Amino acid sequence: MSFRRKFLLVLALSIVVAVGAVSSAVFWIARQSLERADNERATALAAQVEREFARRGDEITRKAEAIANSDQTLRMAVSLSRPGADPALYVNAAAAVAQEQQLDFLEFVSADGKIISSAHWPARFGYSDPALRKPDSDKPFLNHEELPDSVALGMFAQRAVAVGDKPLRVLAGQRIDRDFLRSLVLPAGMRVLLYQSAGPGFSPGELVDGDGPVAGGDRLAGFVQQVQRGADATTVVEWSSNAADSEAFRAIPLAGAQDRPLGILLVGSSRRPLVELARHIGTVALLVTGTGILLAIVLSGWAAARVAKPVEQLAVAAREVAAGNWETQVAIASSDELGDLARTFNQMTAELLAQRDRLVQSERVAAWREVARRLAHELKNPLFPLQITVENLVRARELPPQQFEEVFREASRTLLAEIANLKTIIGRFSDFSKMPKPALRPVAVNELVEGVAKLFEAQLEDGARRIECRVELDPEAATINLDPELMHSALSNLVLNAMDAMPGGGTLTLRTQQRDRSLRVEVSDTGAGMTPEERERLFTPYYTTKQHGTGLGLAIVQSVVSDHGGKISVESSPGGGTIFRIDLPVDAKAVGASAGARSGL
Amino acid sequence: MRRTAFRLLAASSVLWCALGSVAATRPHYGGTLRVEMRAAPVSLDPTQEGAAPEAAARVKLAPLLFDTLFTLDAGGHPRPYLATSATVSSDGKSWRIDLPAGVKFHDGTPLTPQVAAGALRAANSEWTVRAERDAVVIESKSAMPWLPAELARPRYAVVRRGVDGPVAGTGPFRIAEWVPAKKLVLVANDDYWRGRPFLDKLSVELGRGLREQSIALELGNADMVEIAPEQARRALEERRNVALSAPIELLALVFDRSRSAAANERLRQAVGAAVDREALRNVLLQRTGETSGSLLPNWISGYSFLFPPRSDMARARQLRAEVRQPPAFTLAYTAKDSLLRLVAERVTLNAREAGIVVQPVAGAGPADIRLVRWRLASADPTVGLMAMAEALGFAAPRGDDPEELYRAEREVIDSAWVAPLICLPEAYGIATRVRNWSLGPGGSWKLEDVWVEGQP
Repeated sequence: MSFRRKFLLVLALSIVVAVGAVSSAVFWIARQSLERADNERATALAAQVEREFARRGDEITRKAEAIANSDQTLRMAVSLSRPGADPALYVNAAAAVAQEQQLDFLEFVSADGKIISSAHWPARFGYSDPALRKPDSDKPFLNHEELPDSVALGMFAQRAVAVGDKPLRVLAGQRIDRDFLRSLVLPAGMRVLLYQSAGPGFSPGELVDGDGPVAGGDRLAGFVQQVQRGADATTVVEWSSNAADSEAFRAIPLAGAQDRPLGILLVGSSRRPLVELARHIGTVALLVTGTGILLAIVLSGWAAARVAKPVEQLAVAAREVAAGNWETQVAIASSDELGDLARTFNQMTAELLAQRDRLVQSERVAAWREVARRLAHELKNPLFPLQITVENLVRARELPPQQFEEVFREASRTLLAEIANLKTIIGRFSDFSKMPKPALRPVAVNELVEGVAKLFEAQLEDGARRIECRVELDPEAATINLDPELMHSALSNLVLNAMDAMPGGGTLTLRTQQRDRSLRVEVSDTGAGMTPEERERLFTPYYTTKQHGTGLGLAIVQSVVSDHGGKISVESSPGGGTIFRIDLPVDAKAVGASAGARSGL
Repeated sequence: MRRTAFRLLAASSVLWCALGSVAATRPHYGGTLRVEMRAAPVSLDPTQEGAAPEAAARVKLAPLLFDTLFTLDAGGHPRPYLATSATVSSDGKSWRIDLPAGVKFHDGTPLTPQVAAGALRAANSEWTVRAERDAVVIESKSAMPWLPAELARPRYAVVRRGVDGPVAGTGPFRIAEWVPAKKLVLVANDDYWRGRPFLDKLSVELGRGLREQSIALELGNADMVEIAPEQARRALEERRNVALSAPIELLALVFDRSRSAAANERLRQAVGAAVDREALRNVLLQRTGETSGSLLPNWISGYSFLFPPRSDMARARQLRAEVRQPPAFTLAYTAKDSLLRLVAERVTLNAREAGIVVQPVAGAGPADIRLVRWRLASADPTVGLMAMAEALGFAAPRGDDPEELYRAEREVIDSAWVAPLICLPEAYGIATRVRNWSLGPGGSWKLEDVWVEGQP
C-alpha cells in the first residue's frame, strides 16, 4: 500500500474516530442533560402531584368540617340522637350536600357505623362503609370507594358531629380520576396516567389519562404488574416503530391505609427530544465525517505532493542505487527534514561512489600486487632452474668437451622444459584474461553432464586409486540456454578437482536437479574436504592448495557460472568431502544480462 | 265479601288533598286548571302502546276526551257509562251493548254504532264487532265474563277516527291546542251528554320534570302536578296539598324465561328473598306504598294477605348455598327512572349480601332480570291480572272467580318468575284553589267535576 493511501486511510480513520468520539461525547452529554432535565421535571411533577394531593386533602378536610359544622348536619345529628329517630328521613341528605359542596363522595354515618345517607350510592343505606376510619382520625386518606357499577379511587376526609354519646360521622371525598389529572400543570412533552385498580393483573380500562382510557394501554401491562410487585419503577415504552414515539415512564405508587397500594400514577416523558437530538447529532456527524473525508482526500493529495513525492523519489533513487546506479541523485525541493533527507541521500551516494572508486583503486592495486606476486612466484620457480642451469653451463665450459656436451644436453633439456613451463604459465594467464563471452544455445544439461562423466571414465579407473563415478540425473531437468563448451570446461574443472581430492579413491557423484526457476548441478566427492578458511578463499584467483596449481581453475569456473547468470556454492568440511552446487537460471534473459554485465565491467 | 271490603278500604285510603274549604264554596263554572306532567306523549290515541310513562299519561288524559262504554264504580264494579245497557249470550261469548241516542262527538257528528264498532275493532282485533241499529255486538271464541270491566279501560274508548288517528271523542273536554309531547289545551265540551264540566279550560304542560313541577306549584304557576311517591312524605311534612292514590303501581323483579341464568328456581327464589322490601319502602320510598308479596294489591284482589312479602336473608343465603357456581345476573331498569335506579342498586346490594352477583344495567337491553314498574291496567282484578300476565309473560287466569285468580297468581309467585317488591300509589300536588278534585278507582282523573277558585 502506497504512502499516499496509508496517509489517506490514517487521516480518514482519524477523522471518523474523532468525529465519532466527539459525536458520542456530545450525545452522551446531551442525553445526560436531557435525562437530568427529565428527572428534574418528573421530580417536580411528582412534587406537584404530592402538593395537589395535599391541597385536595386540605380542601376535602375543610369541606368535611364545614358539613360537620353546618346547622343542617347538627339538626340531623340531634334528630338522630333522639330515641326512635327515623334515619330514613335523611336518606337523600348527602346527595344535596355533596352537590352543594361539589363533592364526589359524601356519606353520613351513624355512631354504629351504618350508612344513613350516601351521595354516591344512595341505595347503600344501612350498610357499613369499610372506608370509615377510627373516629379520631383527622388526616385525609386515599381509598377505593365502591360504587354501584365500579370502584373509584378517591381522597377522603372524615369528621364527627358530637351530639351526646352518638356522634354522627361525615365522610367526604373527591375522585382521583381524569379531572385530577387535568388539574395538574404538565410541562411540555410530559403526561400523567393513572392506573386506578388495586387488584392483581392489569385491566386496560383502568388506565386513564386526562382524556379517558389510554389507547394501547396494554403496552404498560407488564410495567404496571412489575410496580404492583414492588419492582423497578421506570421503563420505556415503544408506542410505534418510530423511536421518537417512545416514552419513558416513572411510577408513583399510591398507597392507602397500612401502605396498601391503591393505584399507580405513571409520569410519562416523551423521548422525542432525545431521539431527535440523537438523529440531529448523527446527521451532523455524518456531514462532518463526509466533509472530513473529502478534506482528507485533499490533504492526502497535498501531503503526497509535499511529503510522499520526495519520499517516492528517494525510494526510486534508492532502488537505482541498489541496482548499481550509484550516481543517482535526488532533487532537493525543500529545506525541511525531507530536504535534509534528500541531501543526506545525495551525500550518501556521493560517498558510496567515492568509496567504490577507492575500493576499486585499492582492489586494482591489490590485484596487481597479487598478480605480481603470483607472477613472481610462478616465474621464480622456472627461473631458478634456468639460472642454475645457465650457471652450470658457464662452469661446464671449463669441462672437457665430452663432459661439457653431456652437461650441455642436460642443460638444454632443462632450459627447454622450464621455458615450456613458463609458456604454460603465461598461457594460463592469457586464457584467464581472454575469458570468452558465452555463446548460448539450448542444451540438455543431462546430456552435458553425461558427456563429462564419459570423458573421465578412463582416468577414474587409472592406477591404484579407484574412484566410483555416480551419475544421478533428474529426468525433469530442463533444456536451458548455455554455452556447452564453457560449461563443459567448468564441469570438467570441478571433476578434476574432485579427483585430485581423492588420491586414495572414493566416490564422485554428478547430479542434476530441476528446481522451480533454476536447474542445479552438483559435483561431489568423498575426499578430504576443506577447512572453513580454505573454503572462504576457494574462488579467489591464483589461490590454490595444490603443489602445482595456478589458482585460476575455480576462478574460471565461477566466472563461467556467473556469465550464465548462475550461482556456485560449496559445502565442505574436513574429512567430509566436498559438494559444489551450480544453480543455473532457466530464464535465458538472466544469462544474457549477467554476461552483458560482466562484459560491461 | 272480603274482596268488597278491601275495595272499600282501598277507596277510602285515597288521600284527598286539602280541600277542607270545599263546603265553604259552591261549584261554579269557569276558570282554567293548569296541569303539569312528566310524561311527554306524542299521541293521544288511547289504543296506542308505548313506553310506560307515556302510556300512563294517555290513560289519564283519555277520559277527558273520550268516553268508554263502561266505567268502574268506587268499588271497582263495572257499570254502563256511554252504554245504556248490555246483554250477554248464555254461553258468554256474545255481548250486545246498547248505545244512547243524541250523543255527539266534539266535531258535531253523532255517535253511531258503526263508529263505536270501528273504535272497538281498532282496540282489539281478536274480537268480532258488528254494529246493529242502536247497538254494537261483540263476539269472541271464548266466554268473556269480564268484558264490561275490560271495556272500562281507556283503550276501548269510543273514538271517531280519521286517516291519521282519533279526531274526536264524546268526552267532557275537546282539544283546543295540541303540540305533541309539549302542550295540550282542552276546553269544555258545552254539549257534553253528562253536562258541561265546571272548568272552561284545561291546560296541560307535558314533559315537565318533577322538580320543575314542584317549583311551578310552589310559585302558583300550576294547579296540579305530579309528585314522586318517595317525595310525598316530605311534601306532606312541608304542609303541601298532596293527594295519594291507592297503591296502583307494582315494582317487581321479572326473570327472563329465555335466559339460562334465570333457569334455576332456587336462585330466583334466593334473589326474591334477599330483597329487603321493608328497607325499600321505609327508606327509599319514605314509607310510601306497601311491601308486596303478590301481584295485585290487596284493595283490588282481597287475598294479598295470603302472599306475605318474602324478605328473608337467611333463607336467601341458604338457597344460594344449595347452588354450585351460580351465574351472575344482569338487572335491567329504565334509565330515566331514578327510583328504579335506586331500587336496582339496593337489590344489587341485597343480592350481594346473599352471595349472588347482580349487575345493574340501565336500559332496555337483554337482561336476566328486569325491574319493572307496572301500572295496573284496571281496578278490576281479572282485567288487571290478565293485562299484567300479557305484559310480564306469565299465564293469565282462565276465569274471573277469585279462586282462579288466586291460583294463577300463586303459580307465578311460587315459581318465582316474578318477585313482587312494592305497590306504589300515585301522588299529586294540588293547589289550594282547586276544588272537588278526586281520582277514579284506577287512578284516572275526574276533572269534569272540578272547579277552581279565583284567578291563577
